[in-house]
Amino acid sequence: MSGSPRILITGTGAVCGAGLGVAAIWDAIVSGRSAVAPLRQWDASRWPVGIAAEVTGVDDRRLVEDRKLHKIISRTDLFGLYAAGAAILESRLTMHRDALLDAASAARFDDRSGVFAGSGGAVYRCNYDYFPLLTAAAGSLQVFGRELSATVNPMWLLKNLPNNVLCHIGIRHGFKGTNACITNQCVGGVLAISEAAAALRTGEADRAVAVGHDAPIEPETLLHYQNLGLLSNAAVRPFDRERNGTVFGEGAGAVVLETEADARARQAPVFGEFLGSGCVSEATGIVDVRPDGDGLARAMELALADASLSPGAVGMIVAHGNGTRASDASEAAAIRHVFGTAPPPVTAFKWAFGHLIAASGALDLLLALQALRCQVVPGIATLSSLDPAFARLPVSSSPKKPCSDTAVICCRGFGGMNVALVVRAKAASGA
Amino acid sequence: MTARRRVAITGIGLVTPVGNDAPSTWAGLVAGRSGLGSIMNFDASGFSTRIGAEVKNFPDDAGIPDRKLGKFASRMHRFALAAAEEALADAGIRPNDTSSRRWGLSVGAGMMGLAFEELATIHAHCALSGEFNPDGLLGKTFPADPVGFCRSQTNTGLALLTRQFGIRGYATTVHTACASGGQAVGTALKVMRRGSVDFMLAGGYDSMLNPVGLSGFCLLGALSTDNDEPTRASRPFDATRNGFVLGEGAGFLVLEDWDSARRRGARIYAELAGDGNSLSSYRITDSPPDGDGPIQAIEQALADAGLTRETVDYVNAHGTSTLMNDKSECAALRAILGGQVDRVAVSSTKSCMGHLIAAAGAVEAAVCALAIRDGIAPVSANLEQLDPDCAVNVVRGKSRPMRIRAAISNSLGFGGSNSCLAFRHPEEVSSAKAGAGSRAAAA
Repeated sequence: MSGSPRILITGTGAVCGAGLGVAAIWDAIVSGRSAVAPLRQWDASRWPVGIAAEVTGVDDRRLVEDRKLHKIISRTDLFGLYAAGAAILESRLTMHRDALLDAASAARFDDRSGVFAGSGGAVYRCNYDYFPLLTAAAGSLQVFGRELSATVNPMWLLKNLPNNVLCHIGIRHGFKGTNACITNQCVGGVLAISEAAAALRTGEADRAVAVGHDAPIEPETLLHYQNLGLLSNAAVRPFDRERNGTVFGEGAGAVVLETEADARARQAPVFGEFLGSGCVSEATGIVDVRPDGDGLARAMELALADASLSPGAVGMIVAHGNGTRASDASEAAAIRHVFGTAPPPVTAFKWAFGHLIAASGALDLLLALQALRCQVVPGIATLSSLDPAFARLPVSSSPKKPCSDTAVICCRGFGGMNVALVVRAKAASGA
Repeated sequence: MTARRRVAITGIGLVTPVGNDAPSTWAGLVAGRSGLGSIMNFDASGFSTRIGAEVKNFPDDAGIPDRKLGKFASRMHRFALAAAEEALADAGIRPNDTSSRRWGLSVGAGMMGLAFEELATIHAHCALSGEFNPDGLLGKTFPADPVGFCRSQTNTGLALLTRQFGIRGYATTVHTACASGGQAVGTALKVMRRGSVDFMLAGGYDSMLNPVGLSGFCLLGALSTDNDEPTRASRPFDATRNGFVLGEGAGFLVLEDWDSARRRGARIYAELAGDGNSLSSYRITDSPPDGDGPIQAIEQALADAGLTRETVDYVNAHGTSTLMNDKSECAALRAILGGQVDRVAVSSTKSCMGHLIAAAGAVEAAVCALAIRDGIAPVSANLEQLDPDCAVNVVRGKSRPMRIRAAISNSLGFGGSNSCLAFRHPEEVSSAKAGAGSRAAAA
């Protein structure tokens, strides 16, 4: 987009089953380690699908220090607040603000600092707080109403607000600018990032933190995904002949975005550049995808046009690669449609930490930046036999080298949603 | 940069406690007719609050010609589909095979996932003792039908709306509690301006008038408990106000490029002229008493629209009728309006239709457009004794005929998200320079 400022990525934060922070997660990926394991959150030994990539062995206080806060937020919020806080810390934004000498400059800084969250929400588990009350009521709504305040935590509603991360980032870090909480299922996190970038381009804010967070591993979600034929009982095997579904993960990914002028002025660390995005719906209803990959192809074309890049300039593609039969096949079709017979190296990361739903694309973006920086497109460790239908798709179990400093990230979700982002490893100046 | 794109509101659709379409809702609001009453949809007799603002006589199969799609729609989704259909019919334009990629959708969606009946079913299978046993879900008798699951996804409404109307461009769904509807319409404006699409269906929908939804607000003590006088219970700005009244419904707007709307001879209600957004970052439940947060959102919306306090004639307030919200909002309005505070008409239509939560901002955006079209500031009902902390020019007693050059609508959400939208009378547009508003200038 001409005339609008360049958008730099000056902070990153991540948590998932594969580790805390981009470096640890990257290490797991290049070592071929998957965090997918038998479930621990409940005894799933009788469940047809009893695996997931859970965040384990991490004290909640390591994620969010303030113990009082734990009482009024849910598990997904812990992840989101951790990742956003880590990104802000790495960017040194608040240090910069706190060093501003006059109160007016600091207030202006906060008013010009945006917050964008892509939230999965706490759809089912949160309602279980009503079970003791339902038991006491024994079918009587009158008793349910009468005994309510004696049985359920008065903060119940607030604890389960889908926009909790948004509010608490604001309260904790003082940011007060333009904001959004996007609840668009799997594409929430990537839309949070692209809306944050849009706000910086139009001058609504000078900087913003954008985070995608989710904790979808719960019995009901698992049950229904399984009944819809979307879950594997073994592993996520993107583009493999034997692929049979996805596996849940949980966690969050966050970035700090800043206008180039703002980042340069304070000599911020620069991890990459946001170049463009595209977002479309396929209008296919709730779970269906179009076999021809129409939506994803259009999203990638729009993102490349937004970035003023031709497909030939793209150095690597991070596919959504959720390991389901239909999504991977239509994704391969979309890549073929946009990039022709010779696409750049393609990889996908969900085999390592599962499908983080609202957080999936945000985490993929962070790993794309790391791949470009390290000049390594990691192989897919669970890929043993490429589906012959995708014979010309340059995806493999061994690492490759990106063809340029630019990556396309694909993200797809319920509702026929398709979003693509384009990022560069670092600002073109080489800073 | 080239002149910024101007955005017209050309279609309106409403399903509210006051009426099941836009004309009846608007007529009801102008007449000050209350949509509040005792809760009839379920037995609320044991709750501390037993009143609400229900949508009445809404046909179960409304809004969805496609029966297969219909089974995935919950009550709030049906409101959304009906209101969206009305808005598209009203605009006289809708997506077709050639235009579908240039149509977008932006919705503020309610947060309720499971219907109470489904929760009761899970309880019966997994938690009769009160403790949850996940293995109960695996039992042969548990109805493991994914329909309820599909119905309860955060973007189910988006999925149904895009499918029903064939919208294949940008699509998003947002939730910032009570600011959701305003932020959805504001997002739609931004998406239009950056040229991603040429048409947007923008709105909000919600229904929390069920046992769990009502419980959440009862627990917080946010609701009025005037159970014996439901039509008086929502009295924004009154010294005796004691909480909001929970409502339900949906509101949708059709937005399109100003020039192309003129070319096709569309009837333009108003210009959607500006959007402002902020976070109060104060406390999770409380509103800042000095209006900090809302002030920035209103300032931004005015600057974005190229408006000043001298050119705004009407404010549709968030005006929930809680002690804290109305005080904080009026402090913000006084700070913004300054010497104009006695001139600018302010009303809260929540006095008649209750608080529609995620739908509120979108419904109230439609109210502003209708107020501009008809030259009427709708009444803020039930105001008898103005709270000195709410010293603004409230439209009391009856609706006020007046030419409205420009209006703003506030939506202030739990957790501190603030949204302000600005609207301009079509006849005022020629005098406003295209692209006059500037975000940078607002800073």
